Amino acid sequence: MEKDYIAPVGEGLYIARTGDWRTRRPQLDQASCRRCGICLMYCPVNSIVRSEAGEYSIDYEFCKGCGICSVECPAKSISMHAAVRA
Amino acid sequence: MTLIDKLANREDLISPGISACVGCNVELTLRTVLKILGPNTVLAVPPGCMGGVGVVGWDKKAGAKIPVFFPLLDNVASMLAGIRLGFNARGRDAHVVAFAGDGATVDAGFQALSGAAERGDRILYICYDNEGYMNTGYQRSSSTSKGSWTSTTPVSREGKGGKAQHRKDFPLIMALHDLPYVATASPAFIPDLVRKVERAMEVRDGLAYIHIYNPCPTGWSFKAEDSIAISRLSVKSRFFPLWESRGRKLTITVREQRPVPVADYVAKIGKFRHLGPEGIAELQALTDERYRYLEAMEKSGAGGDGTGA
Amino acid sequence: MSQVEVFNGNLAAAHAARLSRPEVIAAYPITPQTPVVEYLTQFHADGLLDCQMTEAESEHGAMSILSGASLTGVRCYTATSSQGLALMYEPYFRASTLRLPIVMNIVNREMISPQTVWGGPQDSLTLRDAGWIQLYVEDNQEILDTTIQAFKIAEHPEVLLPVNVCYDGFYLSHMSERVELPTLAEVDGFLPPYSSRHIILDPDHPMAVDPLTNGRLLMGYRRKHMEAQAAALRVIEQVDSEYSDRFGRSWGGLVGEYCAQDADYLMISLGSVCGALRECVDEFRSRGLRVGLLKIRSLRPFPRERVIRALDGKKGFGVIDRNVSFGTNTGILYQEIRAALYSASKRYPAAAFIGGLGGEDLTLEIVERAIDATMASVDAGEVAEAATWLIRPEKRGNS
Repeated sequence: MEKDYIAPVGEGLYIARTGDWRTRRPQLDQASCRRCGICLMYCPVNSIVRSEAGEYSIDYEFCKGCGICSVECPAKSISMHAAVRA
Repeated sequence: MTLIDKLANREDLISPGISACVGCNVELTLRTVLKILGPNTVLAVPPGCMGGVGVVGWDKKAGAKIPVFFPLLDNVASMLAGIRLGFNARGRDAHVVAFAGDGATVDAGFQALSGAAERGDRILYICYDNEGYMNTGYQRSSSTSKGSWTSTTPVSREGKGGKAQHRKDFPLIMALHDLPYVATASPAFIPDLVRKVERAMEVRDGLAYIHIYNPCPTGWSFKAEDSIAISRLSVKSRFFPLWESRGRKLTITVREQRPVPVADYVAKIGKFRHLGPEGIAELQALTDERYRYLEAMEKSGAGGDGTGA
Repeated sequence: MSQVEVFNGNLAAAHAARLSRPEVIAAYPITPQTPVVEYLTQFHADGLLDCQMTEAESEHGAMSILSGASLTGVRCYTATSSQGLALMYEPYFRASTLRLPIVMNIVNREMISPQTVWGGPQDSLTLRDAGWIQLYVEDNQEILDTTIQAFKIAEHPEVLLPVNVCYDGFYLSHMSERVELPTLAEVDGFLPPYSSRHIILDPDHPMAVDPLTNGRLLMGYRRKHMEAQAAALRVIEQVDSEYSDRFGRSWGGLVGEYCAQDADYLMISLGSVCGALRECVDEFRSRGLRVGLLKIRSLRPFPRERVIRALDGKKGFGVIDRNVSFGTNTGILYQEIRAALYSASKRYPAAAFIGGLGGEDLTLEIVERAIDATMASVDAGEVAEAATWLIRPEKRGNS
């Protein structure tokens, strides 16, 4: 049952499904990726993941498709594509 | 640990899904700053973009994993001062932090902020300056650049109008409170930004203030993907120079020996589209004059840390 | 053991605050409240008051600082007056709707314009619907006792609301009277330390304070706030009775009554003018006229049932308001009493008076005139729709 507060407070996270907003989908080309981490540094939504091996990938759950990673990538390894509804 | 290690490994303390606009570099700034601050933090997010997109929360849910609250638009620093006193009273410690827009900082909240600065309240106040009241459709603030279109400084069909006054040099106003730490920062210069947040976190003897300049794709009208590139140009043109100060000892932290013309910066921004050569020349002149003043301050060093010692 | 002292009202309030062990005090000076701030900072400097104390840059700042402090779960105190209260309206309303049990003395002062610094409860009465509990007192002992009680009422788990203890500027704030001062140990026995977690900013228990809230949920919070005000009706009486058991002084809880039981005519007011009314009641009684006094101590929550009970068997009543309710032709208290009596079994004849605004003296002579007028109009069965203004005749020889 939901807690019955006497004052306006919130507990537990509210999460907007921002991945649904995406009209363009970034794609990372592992072959040309220099693993510099610039995309991770600039992604506003924290959607770039680095593995223990130091490989980068894109988590699409919350990615809004802004394209900043694609513009900032010094190796031009990230390209933007029309998003397709699953 | 490298910067990328930090950013890759530290927990994102903000909800993974907040309703900030696509390409919002304030969202980037907030997530980055909170990774550096860590979980022992109380966060004030007043009305403004970040409050509006759900960083405090909705209904009975929170927008962050740390204690977060809505101060009023005009009492951010006062409420934080009270939180610090409450913690002092019970022998507790935590980072007591504001993440406030320019409206809550340079306009309505200035009295509270100046009061807290003068009293030496130990809080870390971060202003994200996107030059106006963006989450309500971009009304002008005293941080809006001269000539800028806003919904309350409109441009006529003949292309006349925009804001009539230059923006306040607000970070310098804060520095002249003789604060232990003041800095300007940019989402395009993350290593510089992170270093400044870490320095501000170490301050024990008063208020630390960081003024971050956040060009806004939605309000200013430019492409979301250029969000960082335009932020970078604002620094590379010296339109928004990056510096830090302790007391009156000021240091420019990112030097652009061959600055990009301001014209190249404003050309990419829709809100300046109507500006003619005169308007642009005026922004260039202001930029040069303010930069010269900063250099003079840096050079003089003003001899001390502002304590008179 | 209590000690007998001679205190002005502001010093009585400052001692009450000191004895209640607030953990955070933030204040901004304003006439006539200023000495409260001076006394407290001196107590603090002299080591008599162990708390975090800060000098706010405005009253808006003072209430905002306390709101932040209270959100960390500590006991908070401040005091203000008039324009200061008006300036703090924004965080004032919010302190109650966040359910923060802050205690604030209001040293009542008239609102400008015209420019004035003198007494009158227009400042706090105007804010009666901002969700705070508002208690009004008559003399300096009552300031001290009620301010200590206020913390216990505010922090009661069924209440958790901020409380104002309001007293008249100058007439009480700057006038010295005999006051019995309890010891810290005695007050400790009455008032336990504050601890509450209904709303808290604490990194060990992360919580969002005041998320954006939909109307349906907001209405739920408002209803609980109303219920807390209703619970306070009981708690205020309980706390008064407990205080009386420990300290030997009861102020009647929600209302104070003087010669009211067998009265034919009941005069009703609040604040220091009740002192003058007491004297006049004695005078009328000495002439065999059965006049009594009903002093409203709690304006919020409003003690409807006690007012109805107090009027039972009376011929009628008169209300002296030291304030105005624009657009109603009367004062605020008269409106409140009339509204409460709608559910009484009888329609009482009633007289309404406005006087004593802006520090203007309500002399015994003027108050007697008001009682005479009340008796006459009650006997004639009239219900006033407009107040009679109690104004002294202009002095001769003035330029």
